[in-house]
Amino acid sequence: MKINKLLMGAVISAGVFSGGIASATDLNFWSWRQEDIKAYEEIIAAFEETHPDIHVTYTAHEATNYNTILTTALAGGAGPDIIHTRSYGSLEQVAAAGYLEPLNDQVDLSTLSADELLGTTLRADGKVYAVPFASQTVLLYVNKDLFDANKVAIPTTWNEFIAASEALKAAGVTPLANGSAAGWTMEIMSGAFMPNFYGKEFFGDVTSGKTDFEDARFVEALEKFSVVKDYMPDGFEGVDYATMQQLFIAGQAAMFVGGSWELPGFTKAGINFDIMPVPSAAGSGMVATFLDGGYGVNAASENKEAALEFIRFTATQPFAQMLTDKLGNVAAVDGAVSSDPMLKKVAGFHNNATPYIMLVAFRFDTPTGSTLLQNGLQELFTGKKTAAEVAKDISDGIKAAE
Amino acid sequence: MSLASDHDIDLIYQKSLRKRKNMRRLWLAFLLLPPILMLLIFVFLPMASAVLYSVYDWKGLVRGEFIGLGNYYDVLFKPRESWFLFNAFKNNVVVFISLMIVQNGLALVLALLLARKPAGYRFYQVVIFLPVILSTVIIGFQWKLFLNPIFGLVNKFLRMVDLDMWALPWLGLPETALGSMILVNTWHWVGFPTLVFLAAIHRIPKDLIEAARLDGANEWRIARDIIWPLMAPAVTIIVVLTFIGSFNWFEIPFIMGSLEGSPAYSTDTLGLLFYRTAFGSVSAGGSNFGAGSALAVLIFIFIFTFSIIVTKYLTSREIEMG
Amino acid sequence: MAHIQINNLHKQFGDVKVIRDVNLTIDDNEFVVFVGPSGCGKSTLLRLISGLEDLSSGHIKIDGERIDHLPPSKRGIAMVFQSYALYPHMSVYQNMSYALRVAKESKASIDKKVKQAAEVLQLTELLDRKPKALSGGQRQRVAIGRAIVRDPKLFLFDEPLSNLDAKLRVQMRIELTKLHKKLNATMIYVTHDQVEAMTMADKIVVIRDGIIEQVGAPLELYNHPANQFVAGFIGSPSMNFIDVKVIGKSDASLELELKNKTNIHIPCAEVDLHAIGDKMQIGIRPEKLILDEACDAMQDGEVFAVERLGNETYIYMHTATNNEIVLHAAGDKPVTEGDHISVGFKVADCHLFASNGEVVK
Ligand SMILES: Nc1ncnc2c1ncn2[C@@H]1O[C@H](COP(=O)(O)OP(=O)(O)OP(=O)(O)O)[C@@H](O)[C@H]1O
Ligand SMILES: [Mg+2]
Repeated sequence: MKINKLLMGAVISAGVFSGGIASATDLNFWSWRQEDIKAYEEIIAAFEETHPDIHVTYTAHEATNYNTILTTALAGGAGPDIIHTRSYGSLEQVAAAGYLEPLNDQVDLSTLSADELLGTTLRADGKVYAVPFASQTVLLYVNKDLFDANKVAIPTTWNEFIAASEALKAAGVTPLANGSAAGWTMEIMSGAFMPNFYGKEFFGDVTSGKTDFEDARFVEALEKFSVVKDYMPDGFEGVDYATMQQLFIAGQAAMFVGGSWELPGFTKAGINFDIMPVPSAAGSGMVATFLDGGYGVNAASENKEAALEFIRFTATQPFAQMLTDKLGNVAAVDGAVSSDPMLKKVAGFHNNATPYIMLVAFRFDTPTGSTLLQNGLQELFTGKKTAAEVAKDISDGIKAAE
Repeated sequence: MSLASDHDIDLIYQKSLRKRKNMRRLWLAFLLLPPILMLLIFVFLPMASAVLYSVYDWKGLVRGEFIGLGNYYDVLFKPRESWFLFNAFKNNVVVFISLMIVQNGLALVLALLLARKPAGYRFYQVVIFLPVILSTVIIGFQWKLFLNPIFGLVNKFLRMVDLDMWALPWLGLPETALGSMILVNTWHWVGFPTLVFLAAIHRIPKDLIEAARLDGANEWRIARDIIWPLMAPAVTIIVVLTFIGSFNWFEIPFIMGSLEGSPAYSTDTLGLLFYRTAFGSVSAGGSNFGAGSALAVLIFIFIFTFSIIVTKYLTSREIEMG
Repeated sequence: MAHIQINNLHKQFGDVKVIRDVNLTIDDNEFVVFVGPSGCGKSTLLRLISGLEDLSSGHIKIDGERIDHLPPSKRGIAMVFQSYALYPHMSVYQNMSYALRVAKESKASIDKKVKQAAEVLQLTELLDRKPKALSGGQRQRVAIGRAIVRDPKLFLFDEPLSNLDAKLRVQMRIELTKLHKKLNATMIYVTHDQVEAMTMADKIVVIRDGIIEQVGAPLELYNHPANQFVAGFIGSPSMNFIDVKVIGKSDASLELELKNKTNIHIPCAEVDLHAIGDKMQIGIRPEKLILDEACDAMQDGEVFAVERLGNETYIYMHTATNNEIVLHAAGDKPVTEGDHISVGFKVADCHLFASNGEVVK
């Protein structure tokens, strides 16, 4: 008898509970950020507090196949309401097919800079299709303890960088952890080293068509960059991303070139490190930055209004603050203040920054600038081709792209 | 009532005959239906849709206009694309020839040794076959670790035996990457041809080998003159499977290299090229279903025709035993 | 062309002793037949001689030289297998010439030898065919041809005719005998077939459980078996055995009582070896039993089977004292199942075996 009553109570309360949910709007939110699930759930909880009638479910898919999974679902009419998009060329693929809702008149984008909005703007119609969420910065990590232990000063100019590397090498420490096995880590590395050599104007010149990649500035940058291979690990040709990280974390290499997304990992690993732009001849160097992605709305969503409400939330300062606090990202939306000194530094580097060239400008057509550059760098670093040959390949590839 | 006439009996007999024939047909249909359906669903349908996709222009996942053989022209004759196709094809050919020599040659030697039942041969048999049942993904990752230039066991071992000059970044150099992957593939699969060859050798009547021994043949002549020709059916199967496997080679270069056939396309294969073209990748850019489908159709036609030619040729040199 | 001598040969597989202390001499040009029940070790003995099997201990000599340590191919021996063991992927010509090719003989000499052997075996027309396209008899001849071309000192045959039909078997039997004469070669031949053994052999070797029971010319074994096993094994249908008991002894004979209380006297050289009351068996071949005629001893019984072969008849009967007896009679003997008959035999035709199987007379 008692059990029966208990059961009955459970059934009734369950009915009441689900009835309550049914009147709210359920939104699906897809992303490739599996490592961020917990943070996003907290951010969503904060949103739901002010929007009790909207319920958001965050689903993270496998990162490398995310684009394929997403586009397949969208083509089949089964996409989510809220889409975590990537930027530039990858965004264009989704937006050009008409899967995304244009946001210009529906969301207040005043908190975002033009540079950042470029990453989520469709070149064909000039409309913005996603709210930019975070920018990434390519920079140099140095292990302060290793420098100290070997009595080498942290370099502030290019010549000091070379001298420090030589000193470390002589002391039996691998100066730079990076390898060339994974093409994309080579592109990242080039983003840290090459802008100092080809200068601030080159990006504008090459994107406007004033010059091409056979430009002397670019060839010379390739040549100077390739000197770095002497400071990479023995057998760097076979060193992949995981190995690079391990070398730096284990204190076997003194420096590491990577994106700002390495910050949480390196901090957690307990390394005493500092970050800086790769120093230029004159001193302070440039960092390369790019927009990581944005939040968009499925144009075919049945809950477009509710989804837009969430998107509007992502363009606000409180959201940006949470992104900064919980995920350690450099939020695209203005006004977030980081309590983390490293993140503060990264934000400071943006004063002397240049776009991460191939991703920002040449990943729209095939072959992409990234493929060409990655392959060219592998050939350059394994001695298969000279800087001039690589530059010509890249230039020809870009011109043939469509 | 009179007894049934011969005519009646004939009729009854014919009726039952017809009934039996119908039953037979039903059974045949029942037994053939599943494989035919499987063939339809898993071979014919995907092929047909690939052919269909390949004659359209695609904008991402949205089908554009009909362009006939345009995609085929692109993948075959546009300079960059044709370079990729040729480069990948060349690598597949290298893989096929190397696997034939290294993997299947080793398998043959192992099978000949095991067939003589040395002490503990059952143990060796299991050891050799064990990697076959492991997943390619695991083996790919495992060997990628072993071949790591800094932490990997292979180079650690080489340094230990004072062969420092051989401690190369195996997967990072365009000259050694493909070869290393071929060796890993061999390690992974050699047990399979070994077992097929071993079964074929065991099928050869013992008398034949003893007769040859009495005829004065040494082990090498017995292997060459008696065992090898009589293994022909097994060799046919292995050659064809190796051929198909080599030209569909994907997992090992994908896991141990990258979707771009890293380093510098030296480990690119038709499979990787197809995947990259059809589905795109983070750095290689967007998907192109049309060109990808055209590649798939071309690869299929090539593998299909060659498999048939190879099978036809090899079966013609098989002999029935007995 | 070869004289074979086998001394104290032993062979065991693991713990199982398959050949036990075999001693055997085979003369030049002799045709020797091994017989014995299935599993007695005939094939093993053959394989030990050929070298396909390693011996456990003992010697094998050909023409006075030890060959047991030589590899098979160096022993100058050719073997014809029951399965023929023709190489299926080679033509008849290639099959026959394989050994010569391995030995790197000149093309001309190979050709000559193969053609010659083919001539002898009437295979000339078939030289280009593959074994698959040959009849059983033709394959058999190719297998023999393959042995001949090597010009071996010794031929070994392991039941070579058992896969052929009866008629072909008879034909091949005669051909083989002719071949033996023509080649002047020493041959060892294993068979299950009584007729083959009796008709082809110069010398029969009876083997049981890896032990040689008796060696001798066919008729010698038939007429003077050394023991009850040989007596029963040689001859078809086999010898009849009847239980007897010793009831009396004299200088040179034993008085024996059959179960039906008939008494007979059988001459015996060494009477002292036997005691009154010993159980023994007498053996009489079927053709020595006489129907319906008064004899030295009679056996009554009921016929339970009659086999009529046309020219002869075998009558199977149960005696009143519970022995089974078969007798050989003329083809037209009017006997049917269920008949009560009486058979007799002469004491002179009797063999006598002690209870351990050894022959007494
Ligand atoms: N390789 C072996 N391992 C173990 N036992 C064996 C082996 N070869 C033969 N034997 C055993 O040795 C015994 C003799 O075998 P063998 O083949 O010589 O008999 P056989 O007289 O030729 O018989 P059959 O008339 O049936 O051919 C048998 O008991 C057999 O089981
Ligand atoms: Mg046998």
